[in-house]
Amino acid sequence: MSELDALILERLTCDARTSFRQIAAEAGRSTDTVINHYDRLVADGVIRGSTVVLDTATIGYEGAAAFNIDAATAEGASPAAIMQTLIGMPNIILATRTVGEHDILALAVIHDIGHYARLGREIAAIPGVRGISSNLWPGGQEICPRYFII
Amino acid sequence: MPGPRLDALDAAILRALQLDARTKYSDIAQAHGVSVDTVIKRFRRLKRTGLARRTTVLLDPRRLGLEIVASLAITADPGAIRDVVEHARGLNGVIFATHTMGQIDALAIAATHTMNEMSALKDTIQRHRGVKDVKASIWADQFLLCPQNFELPPEE
Repeated sequence: MSELDALILERLTCDARTSFRQIAAEAGRSTDTVINHYDRLVADGVIRGSTVVLDTATIGYEGAAAFNIDAATAEGASPAAIMQTLIGMPNIILATRTVGEHDILALAVIHDIGHYARLGREIAAIPGVRGISSNLWPGGQEICPRYFII
Repeated sequence: MPGPRLDALDAAILRALQLDARTKYSDIAQAHGVSVDTVIKRFRRLKRTGLARRTTVLLDPRRLGLEIVASLAITADPGAIRDVVEHARGLNGVIFATHTMGQIDALAIAATHTMNEMSALKDTIQRHRGVKDVKASIWADQFLLCPQNFELPPEE
């Protein structure tokens, strides 16, 4: 990764709307060069997208939760299908397959305890889910703002 | 759902920027029949009120050489949990740590260059005073991000 790539990532992590012209001026390079480097970072999958970081407490979330999900081993059960269902569910903000005690980890934002319980039941009801365990934490923290967001 | 109320334009701006923070204000303005200035002022207001903290890019740690991403489930003595979380937050490679309520006492998410580094990181947390156990779950394949799944407050 070049110095210009690093500068682009640094500036866009702080403010994804920073103009390419501004970064170019700071780096002493042309705007076209900055755009080319940015396009390459996107094409290579380094930059996977951009988003607005919302204050979760302000929009009504009291906390967040991690759901550890065990998939059934029966024929026809598919962790990939469970993943697809998860990412379509409101308030699930990240899902990943895991190697360890459980098969899938889903992170969610939670309005209140009742919502936490409901979401747990909805996840448990997804076809192919054999069991879940979960943990809740309070507050409007950002999770790993450099890599992914809560 | 508690929280502040938004009007339809506020919600549309946030939805557009949730999916792509570099969406042109002019595209949002055109889609909703308002001026670019209106969109800019609305988004400034959303930031001023604290509802929108900032915009950012979403990076794939693996493409930056951090090949191993894992969640670390930590159990600890009740009196040590706060210290364990603070300690974990200060460790190189830990990108998130919080105390939790549930089956475990704290959760950390870490990204390292190699499995050996992750193993060493886990051991470091394990050796900290008050820690009873650390179980690592390695994130396999791609992880899927869904920032669009945030529910916004109801529209006015």
